[in-house]
Amino acid sequence: MLLINRKCLFLLILFIIGVTQSIQAQEKTTVNGTVKDKLSGESIIGAVIKIDQLANVVVTSNEYGFFAISLPKGKYDLRISFVGFEEKKVPISLNGPLSISIFLESKNQLAEVVVESKRKDDNLIKAQMGTETLNMKSISKVPVIFGEKDVLKTIQLLPGVKSAGEGNSGFYVRGGAADQNLILLDEAPVYNASHLLGFFSTFNSDAIKDATLIKGNAPAQYGGRLSSVLDVKMKEGNNKHYTVNGGLGLISSRLSIEGPIQEDKSSFILSGRRTYADVFLKASDKFKDNILYFYDFNAKANYIINEKNRIYFSGYFGKDELGLGSSFGINWGNKTGTVRWNRVINNKLFLNTSFIYSDYSYTVGLKNGETNFNVNSNIKDANIKQDYTFYMNPKNTIRFGFNSILHTITPSIFSGTVNNSVNKVGRNGLENAVYFNNNFKANQQLTFDYGFRASAYSIMGGDVYNLYNGNEKTSSILLQKNSFGKTYLNLEPRFTSNYRINDFSSVKIAYARNVQHLHLLSNSTASSPSDQWIGDSYNIRPELADQTSIGYTRNLKNNTYELGAELYYKEMQNQLDYKDGTNINTIADVESALLYGIGRAYGFELLAKKKTGILSGWISYTLSKTERKIEGINGGNWYNAKQDRTHDISIVTIVELNPKWSVSGVFVYNTGNAVTFPTGKYSLGGQTIYQYANRNTNRMPTYHRLDLSVTYENRDRKKHETSWNFSLYNVYGRENAYRISFQDDPLDNTKTQIVQTALFRWVPSVTYNFKF
Amino acid sequence: MKLHFNIVIYLYCLIMLFTSCDKIITLPFTDNDSRVIIEANITDQSGPYIVKLSRSINIDQSNIYPVIDNGTVIISDNTGVKDTLKYSSVGIYKTKLIRGVYGRTYSLEVTVDGKKYTAQSTMPDKVNLDSLRINTFPINGKNQYSIIPVFTDPLELGNSYRFIQQINDTLDNNYNIFNDNLNNGKINQRPLGPPKKDISIKNFDIITVEMQCITTSAQLYYFTLSQQSGAGPGGGTAPTNPPNNIVGGALGLFSAHTSQTKTIRIPN
Repeated sequence: MLLINRKCLFLLILFIIGVTQSIQAQEKTTVNGTVKDKLSGESIIGAVIKIDQLANVVVTSNEYGFFAISLPKGKYDLRISFVGFEEKKVPISLNGPLSISIFLESKNQLAEVVVESKRKDDNLIKAQMGTETLNMKSISKVPVIFGEKDVLKTIQLLPGVKSAGEGNSGFYVRGGAADQNLILLDEAPVYNASHLLGFFSTFNSDAIKDATLIKGNAPAQYGGRLSSVLDVKMKEGNNKHYTVNGGLGLISSRLSIEGPIQEDKSSFILSGRRTYADVFLKASDKFKDNILYFYDFNAKANYIINEKNRIYFSGYFGKDELGLGSSFGINWGNKTGTVRWNRVINNKLFLNTSFIYSDYSYTVGLKNGETNFNVNSNIKDANIKQDYTFYMNPKNTIRFGFNSILHTITPSIFSGTVNNSVNKVGRNGLENAVYFNNNFKANQQLTFDYGFRASAYSIMGGDVYNLYNGNEKTSSILLQKNSFGKTYLNLEPRFTSNYRINDFSSVKIAYARNVQHLHLLSNSTASSPSDQWIGDSYNIRPELADQTSIGYTRNLKNNTYELGAELYYKEMQNQLDYKDGTNINTIADVESALLYGIGRAYGFELLAKKKTGILSGWISYTLSKTERKIEGINGGNWYNAKQDRTHDISIVTIVELNPKWSVSGVFVYNTGNAVTFPTGKYSLGGQTIYQYANRNTNRMPTYHRLDLSVTYENRDRKKHETSWNFSLYNVYGRENAYRISFQDDPLDNTKTQIVQTALFRWVPSVTYNFKF
Repeated sequence: MKLHFNIVIYLYCLIMLFTSCDKIITLPFTDNDSRVIIEANITDQSGPYIVKLSRSINIDQSNIYPVIDNGTVIISDNTGVKDTLKYSSVGIYKTKLIRGVYGRTYSLEVTVDGKKYTAQSTMPDKVNLDSLRINTFPINGKNQYSIIPVFTDPLELGNSYRFIQQINDTLDNNYNIFNDNLNNGKINQRPLGPPKKDISIKNFDIITVEMQCITTSAQLYYFTLSQQSGAGPGGGTAPTNPPNNIVGGALGLFSAHTSQTKTIRIPN
C-alpha cells in the first residue's frame, strides 16, 4: 500500500509539473479538426500532426480522427501524415479558434508492412509500450489457415502473444490466460471471440478498420482485464460513394456493402459472412445430418449532425451452429451494439459518450426419445461510458471519464426434462470505474503518459451467496434483489514514459496495475464455448496484476528497419482454478470447488521489422516463463501454466514482386505447451490407470510450421479491384502434436501406446476477393 | 456436463476426420514413484469381498503389475465386526465374515512393509434399477442406440451412481458416472454414453448394465478418471491422480456400493 501511495504521489507531482508549465503560457488559441481519407471519408485514427514552425509539437488524431492544438496566435504550416497516405501541408493563419477538416490522399504504391506505426519514427516518440496496431488493408497478404485473413491469428505472430492451439483464434499475452484479454469491438466487450471451436475469429476483416493490441500497459481509459487490450474498430463506411466488397473461399464467403446515406454527412456499412462446409456434408450420405456452420453480421452507420456533433451506431451479431440432426445441437453467439456520440464541447474539449450492450450466450440441446433438454448460459452487459479528451496545451493532453457496467451472468441452467436439482439463477454485478490520464511531453526527448483508474465491483442481490473456508461452507448471505452486497474498490496506477536518446533510438519504461472482476472457468485445455464466466463474490476477489516493463527501440537506415526489445515482469494475485473432478456445468455452487492462488510471468521480447521496400516483414522472438501457485494444486508448489512456452519465434515476410504479384510467408516455431504426462500406471477394475507426478512438468513436442501464400491483384480499371489468393498452410506437412494420449496397445495389451494426434497436415486454400 | 463435452469432442472429431492423423510416438520418461495400489470393494451381494494389493510401475514397462502378497488387510464395520482378510493369490485378499449392508460404515486397514493405509466407506442405500430402456435415434440414415437405466432418484440430495455397460461379451471401459446435481428425486432420463472406440451398439446385441450406488468420494474418483483424455491443446483437463479416500499415500479406492444387474436385447 505504501508503494502505491508513493507512486500516486509521484504521479501527482508529474501532473502538477505539467499543469504549472501551462500557466506560464502566453495568449493562445486553438486549432482543431478531423483527419479523413479523401477517397472514402473514413476518419483516420492516429494521424500525426506536426507544425513546421514548432519542432516539438506532435499531436495524433484520436479514435474519431479528431485532434486539437493550442498555439499562440500566428501563422503556421501544419504537416499531417499517416502511413499509406501522402503527407499533406496545410497553412493556417490563427487569429482565433479554428476548425478544419483535413483529407489525406492514399498513396498509390506498394503496400507497407502489416504492423505499422503511424509515422515512420513514431515508435521513438510515443510513451506507449507494448502496443501494436494492425491495419486490415495490409494483413490481407499474410497467409492464414483457410485463406481467411484474420486479425486474431495475425496478432499471434507478434512477440509476447501466443496462440491457444493449432489454427485457434484464442491467444495468450505475456503469460496471462485467454480470459485475461479485453477484446473490444467498437468498445463493446466480446466474450467469445471465436467461431467454429476457434478456427475462425468473430472479426470479419471486411468490416474492420484496424485493431490495436496493448500488452498490459494500457492507458487508464482501458480496464477490466489483466493481460491485454485488443481494441478492434469497425469501418465507418464510405461517405462518398457506394462500394461492394466480397470474397469467395472454399469454406466461407463474405460480402459487404458501404456507402453514403447523405453524401459527406452520413454513411453505412453492412457486412456478412457465412461458412458452408455443411453444404458439402449434406451431399454425403454418411454426414448428411451433421450441422456445422457459423454466420456473422456487422453493421455500422454514422451521421454528422453538425460540425460539433456526430453520432455512430454499430452492431454485431454472430452465431455458430453445430449439431447432429434433431438429436444434438450446440449453438453460441455474441451480440453487441454501440451507440456513440462525439461532441466537440469547445476548441479544447472533446467528449465521447457511449451506450454499449453486449451479450454472449451458449445453448446445448439434446433430444432423443423422452429425453429432451437444453442447457443455457449467458453473460450480458449494459454499459455506459463517457470519455473526455482535454487538449490543454501542446504539452498536455488529458483524458478522463467514467464507465459503468451492469453485468448479468447466468451459469449453465438446464431446462426441459433434465433440471438442476438446486435452483440456479443469474447474478448481477455492477462495475464502475473513473479514470484520469495525462499525456505530457516534457520536452523533445521526454514523454510521459500517466494516470490512474479507480475500479469498483459491487456484488448485487437476487441470489444466495455462500461463503467457504476451504471445503467448508461457513455461512450464506441472501441478498435481496436490487440490493448491494460487498464492493471491491481498487486503484490502478498506470505510468509509461519514453526518453528519446537521439534521432534513432529511445528507451521506455512502464508500470501498470490491472484489475479483473470477471473470471472464466474452463472445463478443458482448449477454449470451448461452454466455458463459464463468473463475477467477483464473497469468495472470489478481483484478480490483480502488476506489470513492469522496460524497452529499447532503435531505427536503422532512415527508419526502414526498426528493432525493439522489451523486458517484462508481471505478478498476478487471486488467480482461480478449481478442484480436480469438478463438473462446473452441473455443480450446485461452483464456488464450493474453487481454488485460489498467485501467478508470475516474465519474459524478453525482440522484434525486428523491415517497414518498407520490396521485401518487408518482421521477425519476433519471445523468451518467457509463466507459472502459477495455487493451494490444492501440485501440492501448493509453483508449476508451469499450460501456455508456458520457453521459446517462440515468428517470421513474416511479404515480397512485392510487382504491383500485381506478391508472395508471402509465415514461419512459426515454439516450444511445446507445458503438459502432464503419466509417469506410471497400475491396474484397477481390470483397467489400466495412469499415475501422475507433478503438474505440467512435461512438454508437448516442439511446434513449427511454414505457410506460404501468393496474391494476384488486378487493379486495372479504376473502380474494380479483384484479387486471387492462393495459400498453403503447413507447407512441409509437419504433423504438429495437437493431443498426446496414452492407451493399451490394441495388438499387445501388455504394452502402453502413445498416440499423437495432429490436426492438419497441408491445408490449401483459394480465395477470390472483389471490390467494385 | 459430460454429455455435451462428448458432443464437442464428437464434433472436433468430425472436423478432424478429413485431415487429422494419428501416429505412435515414443517419449522420454522420468522415473516413476512406485506406489501401493489398493482396490477394495464391499457390495450388498454375498461375499467374500475382495481386496487387491499391487504396485504401480513405470509407464514404459509391460503391464505386469507386481502383486503384494505380504500385506495384512483388516476390514471392520460400525457394528463391531472385525475381519482379517485371508490371502488367496495374485495379490487378492478375501473376507471371511463381514457382510455388506446398506448404511454401514466400513473401515479398511492395510499394512504393507510396516506402512499403514486406512480408508472408510459407508454403503449408500440401494436405489432400485427398475429396467433398461433402449433409446433409438437416427443419425445420417442409420439407427443409433443408447441405453437409459430406469430408476427413481431419492428425494434427498447426494446420490451418486456408476454404471458398467457390457456389450455382448465386451466390457465397455467408459466411466458412466451420474449424480443427482441434475434431476434430483426424479426418474432418470439420461442415457449411458456411447461405448468406447471400436464398439458400437447394434441390432441383436445383448447389453448388460450393472448399476452401483456409490459414495461421493467414489463418484469424485471415477469422474476425475473420466475427464482425462490426453494432453495438449486438444486434451481434456490437466490430469492428476484422482482424489481418493485412502489415507497414507496409496492409490486406488475403497468403495462400499450396491450392485444390481439387468440385461436387454436390442431388437431388429
